[in-house]
Formats: sequence, C-alpha cells, structure tokens
Amino acid sequence: MLIPHPLLGLRDSQEFTYLGDANLMHRPDATAENAEAQFCDYVFQRENPAGVHRELWFHEQGDRSWLVVTRDTTTHEILGAELASNVKLGAAE
Amino acid sequence: MTDLTPITALGGTVARTEVFGALTTTENADLGLASLSLRAGQEVPQPFGLMLPGVGKAVSMGDYAAFWTGRGQWMIEAAGKAEVDFAAMLKSEVPECSVTEQTDGFTAFEIASTQGARPIEALMAKLVNIDPKAFGPGQATRTGLEHMTVFLIRRAEDRLAVIGMRTLAGSLWHALAVAARRLED
Repeated sequence: MLIPHPLLGLRDSQEFTYLGDANLMHRPDATAENAEAQFCDYVFQRENPAGVHRELWFHEQGDRSWLVVTRDTTTHEILGAELASNVKLGAAE
Repeated sequence: MTDLTPITALGGTVARTEVFGALTTTENADLGLASLSLRAGQEVPQPFGLMLPGVGKAVSMGDYAAFWTGRGQWMIEAAGKAEVDFAAMLKSEVPECSVTEQTDGFTAFEIASTQGARPIEALMAKLVNIDPKAFGPGQATRTGLEHMTVFLIRRAEDRLAVIGMRTLAGSLWHALAVAARRLED
C-alpha cells in the first residue's frame, strides 16, 4: 500500500504508523461547562464507518509529519493525504 | 591515569572499509552532525554559507553539507568535525534557531561505486522502497531499511551515503554488506 505524501510523493505505508480517527485533532475545551461529558465522548466514542474515513497517520520512518489520510475502509483505497498541521491551522501550503 | 581507547561506531580503532566488487563501503567516523530547526516564523538562515535545501534535497559546500529532514528542519554535516563540539559551532552561526548535537546518535556509511550509477541503483533496489531512478544526485530522504530508519543521501551519481542510528551500526553494516556481496554474483 502506498500513501501519497503531500511533500514527498508516494511512500510505502510501512514507513507510517497509524493513530486513529482524524477527529482526535479536535480536542474539547477543558474549561467548558460540560467538559467532562465532552472528554468522555472524545476519549471513548468513535464513528466506525464502512466506507470513506479520515485518519491520522504518522510518517515515522520519514519526515516525522502527521498526515490526515482519507481511506475507504471497505476497499482500502487511499483517496488522499494532507498535512495534519495544515488541516488544523486551515493554512494552504 | 586511565588510558582510554577511542573506538568507532563499529567498535574498531580505525574506520572500517570493505570492497564488494564495484562497491566500496566505508565507515565515515569523522563526520560531525547537528540538526537545525526553525522556530515559529523564522526565516531560513545560511549557516556556514549553506543555502539550506528544500523538500527531499541535499546541498554541500566545501567541508559542510546539509539535507532536509522535515519542514523547517535540516541535518548539517561537517567533514572531520566528529571530535569537536560541532553543535556549538553551528549554534554560534545560527543563535536564534534550535540546534541539537547528533554526531553521537548516528553513524554514516559512504558507498562509492567504480562503475557509475548502476551498482548504486542496484543496491538501493535491493534495500529500500525508494525509486533509485528518481533519487539522483542532490536528493536526500529518510526511509526504512530492514526495520531500521536511515537517511539516504545521493552525494553523486556514483556515491550514496547511508546515515543510521549509531546503536544499530553493526546491523546496518551487515545489511549493506550482505546486499552488496550478493550483487557481486
């Protein structure tokens, strides 16, 4: 399986490690009124879609960047990859 | 007084070198290494006059060289500076950036070919999942080699540097030597 790294081009998926759902980037506000309930959902609740899924992958044996990889969980087709820092900051580079 | 004997990453008192047909692999025990990272919003500096390269590239000038390791991050190489505090030298060049000593963490093996690019590319094809044809002179990358993580730098058509973790120097040398020996057949 090859992952289209936005900077480095197609790279062997063995160079990457997988973390999980890309929603993990959206950590709840710890000072919010219902922070406990929000953190409970953040830590334990996950969507488990059969189909297109956005996931966090770490290029461990590479440039050590975090990517948001869009993957179809039914076919394992990789539909795209973006730098997680760009996704998070909403920046274009 | 205690009489200590300095040894190289491979445990010898002199750097190891071995010839496998067209390929010669040499332990580069004299290479000083330090990493340079930009802090938020910083401009790219020019340590030792080096124009720090873009994604996946390497540059060299005299005794100094640099290769890209990540966004806003480079490894700086200095020939013959393994036994001096090279990180301090680099820090005095770029006081505003983050500099970390790396000489003690890595070991460099230089592979040279007497028959041009072909043996280097054949060796790469055996060892790493990187397209050797797209990895010409001036390219540098980090990848996996037999479960070890290594930096590869194509210094020239007929020269490739493999920089790996110092604690794995023996295993890395073994991996390179076995692959090079099989190319002789």
